[in-house]
Amino acid sequence: MIASSPDEREELNGLLIHAGRGDQQAFTALYQRTSSKLFGVCLRMLRQRGEAEETLQETFITVWRRAASFDPGKASAITWLVTLRRNKAIDRLRQHREEHLDPLQLEASVDEAPTPAADAETSQEHQRLQRCLDALEPQQRRAVREAFFTGATYNQLATRDKVPLGTMKSWIRRSLLQLRTCLER
Amino acid sequence: MNTPADHHDDDLRYAEYVLGVLDAYARAAVEQEIQDSAQAAAAVAQWQRRLMPFADEVVASTPAPYVWARIQDALQLAAPAPSRPRPRLWDNLRLWRWLGLGASVVAAASVAILLVQPRQLATPAASQAGYLVAAIEQDNGITGWTATMDLPHARMIVVPATPVAFAPGRTPELWLIPAGGKPISLGVIARDKPTSIALRADLLARLDATALLAVSVEPDGGSPTGQPTGPVVAKGTIGGA
Repeated sequence: MIASSPDEREELNGLLIHAGRGDQQAFTALYQRTSSKLFGVCLRMLRQRGEAEETLQETFITVWRRAASFDPGKASAITWLVTLRRNKAIDRLRQHREEHLDPLQLEASVDEAPTPAADAETSQEHQRLQRCLDALEPQQRRAVREAFFTGATYNQLATRDKVPLGTMKSWIRRSLLQLRTCLER
Repeated sequence: MNTPADHHDDDLRYAEYVLGVLDAYARAAVEQEIQDSAQAAAAVAQWQRRLMPFADEVVASTPAPYVWARIQDALQLAAPAPSRPRPRLWDNLRLWRWLGLGASVVAAASVAILLVQPRQLATPAASQAGYLVAAIEQDNGITGWTATMDLPHARMIVVPATPVAFAPGRTPELWLIPAGGKPISLGVIARDKPTSIALRADLLARLDATALLAVSVEPDGGSPTGQPTGPVVAKGTIGGA
């Protein structure tokens, strides 16, 4: 697991800050440290190796160009990177597959439970999120997870779960509001 | 069902944006708001902090080495040798090894040429780099661990690249071997997760391209003698990319 300890988080922040000043070694080290994780996230969302590779590539090109704008006071390096990567992947999904996504392709794409490896060593933040998710109705929890990991639109999610669009929207919005309250506690 | 409304508040829309359920149109609208309003940007950032821990669940997967080669190519990061044709990154064995993926990589024939403006590289790297890296390779050429040394913070992070088998009761220990000197223990390291090591000042001074990092097999808890007692299973020199 990357950046599960404060030390590692600090380390990644340092690498990203140095990359922002044009330090190629720091940028290289940052790629070494984070690319497997980010690639895993790309693969899970795009489900095609070629597309995931292109997304990872675009992500790091943008990282190098925008690293100077990274502000550790606002987000940790890993949140910054994962966000950037997710945005690239979702843009790609919307561009190429907005309405062509085969609902069957999404079937069984999300596991309800975290992987055993993740269980043992996830961050405190993840454990907190997990506790708040556990408080949701199972169906709604599943929908939120599905949404995050597949980057699917409300429409696609509703089709996949065979529920009316309004129901899906309601599930997700309620879940988000509930998570907001729970995570603020 | 009583939905939390289609006239739902902005914060909920930002949450939907971060979760990724909005269509391209609605996403573009939120992205514009992030540009225009600090308040919107802060609200989106807060949702990112809330939801990004999800990513912890994803199983890591090593990308093919040509992805990094393409990135370097696109950004023109590898300094071209003057008056010689630039060596093709694809053929650079050192790079493949260094990336921890072994030497036997068949590079794809076609390079996706990206039309990107090469960023003006001020190349102040050497003076403010502050980072050193080492690939600690096994005898078969496969990287066992990578070490990143953060000199300003006097710290080293050692990350396992490939699982290395150890008998029960045995554990890897990391050594710094200065040129012509005796090994200095940097402590035992984990086989399956990153290890963070604080670097004493006397060690910092010895981290340079003439020194080696090596991993030996020791009893649990580390070498009882202060010197390696078991076989060296991986080693590497310290340097840059």
